[in-house]
Amino acid sequence: MTQGIVTPLTQALAEGKLTREELKFFMRRSDGPALRKLCLWVFALAGTTMLVTLAWDSWLIWPAMLLQGILLVHHFSLQHECVHYTVFRTRKLNDIVGQICGAIIMLPHRFFRYEHCDHHTHTQLTGKDPEQIPMPKTYGEYLLYLSALPYWKTKFTEVTRHALGWLSETEKRFIPKEEHAAVYRDARMMLGAYVLIFAGMAVTGWWGLIWYWIIPLLLGEPVMRFVRMTEHVGRPAVAQMSDNTRTNLVSAPWRFLCWNMNYHAEHHYVASVPYHALPRLHEKLRDHIHVEPRGYLGAHLDILKQIREAWT
Amino acid sequence: MSDKPWQDAILVTDLERGWVTRVTVGRRPVAVYDTPSGLYASLALCNHGGADLCDGYFDGHVIECPLHQGAFDVRDGKPVAAPATRPMRVLKLRVRDGMVQVRF
Repeated sequence: MTQGIVTPLTQALAEGKLTREELKFFMRRSDGPALRKLCLWVFALAGTTMLVTLAWDSWLIWPAMLLQGILLVHHFSLQHECVHYTVFRTRKLNDIVGQICGAIIMLPHRFFRYEHCDHHTHTQLTGKDPEQIPMPKTYGEYLLYLSALPYWKTKFTEVTRHALGWLSETEKRFIPKEEHAAVYRDARMMLGAYVLIFAGMAVTGWWGLIWYWIIPLLLGEPVMRFVRMTEHVGRPAVAQMSDNTRTNLVSAPWRFLCWNMNYHAEHHYVASVPYHALPRLHEKLRDHIHVEPRGYLGAHLDILKQIREAWT
Repeated sequence: MSDKPWQDAILVTDLERGWVTRVTVGRRPVAVYDTPSGLYASLALCNHGGADLCDGYFDGHVIECPLHQGAFDVRDGKPVAAPATRPMRVLKLRVRDGMVQVRF
């Protein structure tokens, strides 16, 4: 092999969409921005936790838990950035924070890293992309996906399988043999930690984590499914990055929550660019990618329109 | 002692300071790294997915693949982050009269 494979980045450089100097500038990393943002993040979590506490004896606990859940499920976005080692310049910090996020949302970090690498290799290619969310054929399928029931079923099955020492054929394709045992160990440790937490609650009789963590997570996950659908669903199942991925222009609170991952096409073009540089990268690539100016809602209107048109 | 000859790669003055520079030696793409402890070289293509490491993020002694962010220590080729699991091939390097030379 004397020539590198063609990636979206090599294409962007070859076509002059991006210069090497710009690339180097965008890729610059530091610990500061993410540490500052993490302080805000913890502050926001403390705020929603306070709301749940204040609403404890009233029906208002449900909207409070939903708010808490929306924040909790967005640990996925932070974990996703950590998977790419772009949150912190200090590499170890990415591993530590990624593992904490994974424990909160039941997504073992090492496994997710391997799976996500394969997603970047085979983005939106049916049968190859392990993270592809299928385009719903009916409104029923659409709503079922948004309920997050299929998601949780898949995740529980996945972690249990790994804890039992089983990998699917697809997983064996993207996880190297020398890492199989580590993936099994991670799943066992994660399930073991959950069992200990529940045992601790049973022993102490304090079931607060059900209300601060578990129910909010279940209430919030449909929001994360809603967000995740906007990235690729409804875009063509082709290798061309300018077509298969959607960037959604969303408001500042959503950008805060998703760590700028709404700039999804830019992220797929140059996955080495940290979250805080993605808005600037967007200015460079905006004419070469698919942009949904109406944000997440616009993306869903597009998906619903495609479902409707498939039936007429 | 290796019989392989030293081959000219690039003038030291043409290297990207504190970064990785792509050069072609014969027909082979080679990455030359300017690090705090001196110059190092390796084959330019990642041994995981085949992407060009010279487009990746470089920091200190670690080169990161632009495709999956697998990473290697350029001093000895040791993988430091998944999905890279095998060492990358590093090349012997010397500087003669301002010219970086490598030996495969």
